[in-house]
Amino acid sequence: MTVVLTPVDRGRAEEARPRPPRRHRLSALDTKVSPYLFVAPFFVLFAAIGLFPLLYTAYVSLFDWELGADDPAFIGVENYTTLVGDEQFWNALFNTFSIFVLSSGPQIIIAVLLAALLNANLRARTAWRMGVLLPYVASLVALTIIFGTLFGPQYGLVNEVLTAVGIGPVDWQADTFGSHLAIASMVNWRWTGYNALIVLAAMQAIPREVHEAALVDGAGALRRFFSITLPMLRPTIIFVVVTSTIGGLQIFTEPKLFDPSGGSGGGAENQYQTVVLYLYQSAFQSFDLGYASAIAWVLFLVVIVIAGLNFLLTRRLASTSSEVRR
Amino acid sequence: MRPRRWVSVLVCAAAASAAVTACGSGGASQTADGRTELTIATFNEFGYEGLFSEYEAAHPDIKITQRKTGQGGPHHQNLFTKLGAGSGLADVEAVEEGYLSQVMAKASQFNDLKEIGPKDLSTNRWLDWKTAAATTRDGKLIGYGTDIGPLAMCYRKDLFDKAGLPSDPEAVKALFATWESYFAAGEQFTARSGGVAWFDNAAQIFNAMHNQHEVGYFDKSDNLVVETNPDIRKDWDAVTSAVAKGQSAKLVAFSPEWNTGFKTGAFATKTCPSWMLGVIESQAGPENKGKWAVTDAFPDGGGNWGGSYLTVPRQGKNTTKAAELAAWLTAPEQQIKAFQAKGTFPSQVDALKSPALLEQTNPYFGDVKAGALFAAQAGKVAAAQYKGPADGQLQENVFSPALQSVEQGKNAGEAWLTAVEGAEKAAK
Amino acid sequence: MTRRPSFTVYGLLAAFVLGSAFPFYWSFLVASRDNSALTGDFTLVPGGNFLRNASRVVDTIPFWKALGNSIIVSGTVTISVVLLSSLAGFAFAKLRFRGRGALLLFVIATLAVPTQLGIIPLYMAMAEFGWAGELEAVIVPNLVTAFGVFWMRQYLVDAVPDELVEAARMDGCSLWRVFWHVGLPAARPAAAMLGVFTFMQSWNDFLWPLVVLNADNPTIQVALEKLQSGYYVDYSLVLAGTTLATIPVLLVFIVLGRQIVAGIMQGAVKG
Repeated sequence: MTVVLTPVDRGRAEEARPRPPRRHRLSALDTKVSPYLFVAPFFVLFAAIGLFPLLYTAYVSLFDWELGADDPAFIGVENYTTLVGDEQFWNALFNTFSIFVLSSGPQIIIAVLLAALLNANLRARTAWRMGVLLPYVASLVALTIIFGTLFGPQYGLVNEVLTAVGIGPVDWQADTFGSHLAIASMVNWRWTGYNALIVLAAMQAIPREVHEAALVDGAGALRRFFSITLPMLRPTIIFVVVTSTIGGLQIFTEPKLFDPSGGSGGGAENQYQTVVLYLYQSAFQSFDLGYASAIAWVLFLVVIVIAGLNFLLTRRLASTSSEVRR
Repeated sequence: MRPRRWVSVLVCAAAASAAVTACGSGGASQTADGRTELTIATFNEFGYEGLFSEYEAAHPDIKITQRKTGQGGPHHQNLFTKLGAGSGLADVEAVEEGYLSQVMAKASQFNDLKEIGPKDLSTNRWLDWKTAAATTRDGKLIGYGTDIGPLAMCYRKDLFDKAGLPSDPEAVKALFATWESYFAAGEQFTARSGGVAWFDNAAQIFNAMHNQHEVGYFDKSDNLVVETNPDIRKDWDAVTSAVAKGQSAKLVAFSPEWNTGFKTGAFATKTCPSWMLGVIESQAGPENKGKWAVTDAFPDGGGNWGGSYLTVPRQGKNTTKAAELAAWLTAPEQQIKAFQAKGTFPSQVDALKSPALLEQTNPYFGDVKAGALFAAQAGKVAAAQYKGPADGQLQENVFSPALQSVEQGKNAGEAWLTAVEGAEKAAK
Repeated sequence: MTRRPSFTVYGLLAAFVLGSAFPFYWSFLVASRDNSALTGDFTLVPGGNFLRNASRVVDTIPFWKALGNSIIVSGTVTISVVLLSSLAGFAFAKLRFRGRGALLLFVIATLAVPTQLGIIPLYMAMAEFGWAGELEAVIVPNLVTAFGVFWMRQYLVDAVPDELVEAARMDGCSLWRVFWHVGLPAARPAAAMLGVFTFMQSWNDFLWPLVVLNADNPTIQVALEKLQSGYYVDYSLVLAGTTLATIPVLLVFIVLGRQIVAGIMQGAVKG
């Protein structure tokens, strides 16, 4: 598992420095244009396919647009002003944040620790890795039944256990916090292994020598983890934090599965209706496409702001620890 | 290695070709051999598979392609997506009764079958209430009826015996005569049942009660009348007070816990459309065989839950031929074959008199003559209630959750206010 | 590194994997028995019906055709996403060009767009392109993802030393060659991971293929959904179907999972 190209190549780079750089025209063009060609596929595809839905929802959000209606009326920003005064929206936003906080934090911490375990020199590595990723492939049908059975308020296994240890049953459907906790555990179950593998891939890229040098210096395993591994994972941790913030705030599948009626209400009193569930309900059950589009745009802004904040926070936290390293 | 840019070239080419084909789309609906292709989108089991080849044999110029979805949810999501997108629907689209009010609200997107359908076809083919539900206020017929789900009552004989209630299919009819007698029997039952509930959940009872009234959530001019229609509040009070007395098992329909409830015998009665017999048999399992019974009675008359229609969306290219196919499929002769293939209970008057239907028995329910029983129940359904545009939403997203919240412990009066508020929001 | 980890490590991992694998085992359990395994007495012993249920699946739906379609769709999408994301990620991580930061932010921002509503305009676009009902409609919109670009960028930013890129440039390599010989080998672990995720996601995608594909030309998930028709669901049949459909995904994992380690060593040798 030795990784290191660095020493050899560094030497080569230093050697090359005094030489005058070759400046062919072609090379200059290559330097200028190639980066754009490299990133072009994404932007071309986005322009061809991704942009239209975006503009379409922005346009629709300015109308009283009922799905399939013949001539929707232009109402300007009225959908947005209604949204600001819509209690159900604020409730959904609260639920989303609550479930997000209960899931993302623990998930990332456990993912990093799990990645550290998986990074050990295990027998049958691929099997272990595959094992932790299994929840990601599980069929939604199976998940619905299993989680419905586990967290069933009346016959649920979790409640049986809680009763046995004397805590007593929790109505996972009726209780707001209880439902958030149940959904968060579903989220954590599905996504921790996934994030662990992302972190693992990055851990594998850390040169062995760094660890070995620290080992020679007499650093313990814990110390090495915190002062070497973690700082070197900075870009990946940022990636995980940003993507799970974005994914967490758009949470949809788990709360939808959790509703035994199969609807998008998120509980009898919207106890666990998230923003995207509300969006979905507005579009495909109330057919209020204009309003749903407004929700989509507002959510987009919220996600951008929160993801941005988390990015800055993570960068600051990670950079202070990496300064220690250097 | 040589720079290989084929990837980016490929993507650019794809985008370019996309731009080109964008000018000339519009799929041909003709097959290679010149036949007209008709698509029909169904879900669940309509029992039509054998019928298509029969139709093609009689109409050599037609080729039928079936788009079949397993469950109603995805089927209707697909339907509404393409309605919104303005293209992509099948020539014939099936619509389930539960989604009908939403489709009726978009009646302008569907063809009037009275106009484009076969002229010699009389709506007397179907039960009156079946056709009435798919007819708009200005008299357009949006869908041909396929099947129905007439309601009877299923009950646990053994639990009735234990609680000292009559359990013979004839004797129980008195308990199921009216909703008043039903809830009274429930009170008697729960007093002696040792924790077993009377019905599965409040919404199932409330919806059945609600649908029996001539006027429901909306009056005939689409005004929301939730607060002014005394029937709704009366039903609400009756159901919520039964919940307060412990008559509800509080099991959300079709949830895993509901399934378990059949197995463990968590409740003693079930509002029972024809197709529910199969559900009960499957969920309660062989070990409960002989415990469940069904009787041809339903409180305060009759009712219907489920069943579908065939519609012809305006998007289609061959609407006349599509309507012809839909008319043929929903003829009594064909629906009886569908009934024999998959057990879909026909909505056609003549099909309900067919010997094949009348002689059908159900061994799980003590060899009861189920076909005859449900045919009789279909005749007891009163005139169809007028459904406003948001009716389905009010039932699924407003009143059912509100009743569930009462089962979860919310004060019934407060829940009523929430429901009224939700109804106003939904009807807006 | 020859030291094997302790039993505690294995124990912790085993506990985690058991919890993760349970729904699979349970799916198989129901698939190997009949519907009553769901509500009846719970047992951990599989029954003998799996093969019978599996052959019922194959008889009920166009299983092989759907499997073929899914392999084409997921395979194409995976190869394309891995290549194009690595390419763009490499550019964002290691090359200097005007507007780099802004463009990267834009890529990340597109992740934040909720996708649930997009289904209607996307269908309109596909119908316009003439792709409704064709496999292109499920392939083309997914050929490169913001997730992939962002991931490869974050990975490559530290995994490839700047000096190495510079040295290769000095030697007169074109940027494409630098990418191909330096960037891609170094990216292999991350690319393999991305491949696994992309394949799985594409394989399990349901609603969009259901809406845009025709019923006679489905992907595997769309085909499997048909097993749920009827007022009551035969879960032994449904779960036999989902169990069968998981096998190719696990195979992909086994193939790509090895790359996560092997890639590094090869990169070291080649570099």
